[in-house]
Amino acid sequence: MNPIAIGVFIVIALLTLGSGIMVVTVRNIIHSALWLIASFIGVAALYLLMEAEFLAVVQILVYAGAVSILVLFAIMLTRQVTGEGVRVVFERWWVALLIALGLFGVIVPTLWKHGATWEEAAKLAQVGPAPVEGAANSLQVATATEIGRSFMGEYLLPFEVVSVLLLMALIGAVVIAYEERTRRRRVLTLAEELALKKRGIVEPRDAEGAVMPREAEGKVILLDSEQA
Amino acid sequence: MADALTQLGFASWLSVLIASIIKVTLILVGGSVGMMFLTWYERRSISYMQDRRGPNRVGPQGLLQPISEAIKTMTKEDATPRDADKIVHFLAPVVMLGATVLSFAVIPWGRMFPVDLNAAVLFVIATGGLHSIGMMMAGWGSNNKFALLGGMRGVAQLISYEIPQVMAIIPVVLMTGSMSLQKIVEAQNDFAGLGWYVFSPVGLLGFALFFTASLAEGERTPFDIPEADSEIIAGYMTEYSGMKFAVFYLSNYMSNLAVCFITATLYLGGGNGPGVDALGGIAGGLLSLIYFLLKSFALFFVMVLIRATVPRLRVDQLMSFAWKFLLPLVLVNILSASFWVALLRWDQQWPKLTEWFGAPSTADATNWGRLAIAIVLTLLINAGAVALIMRLTNRNVQKHLYTTDEELALGLS
Repeated sequence: MNPIAIGVFIVIALLTLGSGIMVVTVRNIIHSALWLIASFIGVAALYLLMEAEFLAVVQILVYAGAVSILVLFAIMLTRQVTGEGVRVVFERWWVALLIALGLFGVIVPTLWKHGATWEEAAKLAQVGPAPVEGAANSLQVATATEIGRSFMGEYLLPFEVVSVLLLMALIGAVVIAYEERTRRRRVLTLAEELALKKRGIVEPRDAEGAVMPREAEGKVILLDSEQA
Repeated sequence: MADALTQLGFASWLSVLIASIIKVTLILVGGSVGMMFLTWYERRSISYMQDRRGPNRVGPQGLLQPISEAIKTMTKEDATPRDADKIVHFLAPVVMLGATVLSFAVIPWGRMFPVDLNAAVLFVIATGGLHSIGMMMAGWGSNNKFALLGGMRGVAQLISYEIPQVMAIIPVVLMTGSMSLQKIVEAQNDFAGLGWYVFSPVGLLGFALFFTASLAEGERTPFDIPEADSEIIAGYMTEYSGMKFAVFYLSNYMSNLAVCFITATLYLGGGNGPGVDALGGIAGGLLSLIYFLLKSFALFFVMVLIRATVPRLRVDQLMSFAWKFLLPLVLVNILSASFWVALLRWDQQWPKLTEWFGAPSTADATNWGRLAIAIVLTLLINAGAVALIMRLTNRNVQKHLYTTDEELALGLS
């Protein structure tokens, strides 16, 4: 690496780490989610620095664009968590510390052991395009083509396991949402509400104006599932 | 450009830096001037569609109207609500505009490519997805319930429509065999510059789906739920005024422009057209730029036309349109695209198949027999899928749009 690249790396790494630290120290939970997005983008910049364009773009697409937005969504739909009174340090902080240290202890020796091999692979990649066949160039994973080939070749089993996991999550989400939906009444449009009022079927409301449970009313409006 | 500067005697890093600065400046200036022109173009054309004249006082045909409006917004007071989250409120328009400008980095201007990224197609979608962060920040940071509602609506919409949008591109990537926009443009240069993807059944359906999903991503009118002015004032922009509001406006129009550019590049052949290759050199480049801009502005005109004719969707209609209409069609389109690729280029993609069935006589797209089979097959699949889904949707709409008296009395489903 030339000195400019190292300088850029240090700046990006510091920014990423800084935002990571902000994520866990800021008291406002929305701010912490926003810092998380910043650190995701920093990681994408690191990928870009390693010339893994595809990985960088996917990092932004999936993590900065979708996952963090879901986090924000979940926070905003949950009441009373955006306040400032959130505690940062809990009693069992040492468990988190142990896990972090363990991960560190796995990653650093791996880098120590395989760093030389990866450097050589990178050099090979710079000299010329490696032969495309099979596992010979599995270390030089940068473009979408290479990633696709290794998914469908060398790493087929992990790939399939992950897809089954994602499928399970998908089906689980559908099941939960479906059960929730069958129990819930559809929100009436204004026209339907007016039509109901005209026919003398008035929605029962409690003192705060919220719709009361249907059982309280003589003329009950039910869902399909409840009729059955 | 960097090479030319190096020859002039600049150091290599300096020439790269200067070339990048020139490119960035061109993109920024071109983007904002294009946006000013677009506002005028949209207002004038929508006025004629609504039987009025539109802005025609400032400058010839009202062309200078955007400039007077820019001066007006810049001199307005920049107000921040007292209880707003000041930093988030300030950063939201910055994030929005930054995401939009980033997507301009990979857009090919005719035959000129500012940056030829390997994953350029995905890059455009990814930067579009960053919009939702800006929206969320604006909605939450304003400390206003209408802003928060708008932000929520906007983010839900963007996340839902990102999926059909990304998957509508897969057929193009399959047919090209690459995600680089330069390669995609080159692949549409057959048949004297008219081998655009939109002329194949797969590309036609993909074009319609991608453009529709992009309308939702750009919050254009049938999908302008996040800023529905008759329901929630101006959505996430409610608490913005002056320059910050102008920045939101700018980023909205620039992202609409980017959508038109990308659609023209992916499906309408970018800068390809008859005569570009024959002219060659600088003249050919200019002609391709003219073709490209013509196609993009024609697409923008379609956007304006849709805005003038189609009413806004309801939120539940919006979601069911994305998940029950666009998504199945997009999946079918990917299927027929794989048939298309398999029929036209199996020898390139799968050497094994050539081993088993023998090599086809020629491999390029001008093999008429294979082309005919591919067109008929994909047309059958796509037309069948569209007809089926339309029928199902119609039945569904019939069931849900109108509530009969019996249903009202018995219960609403």
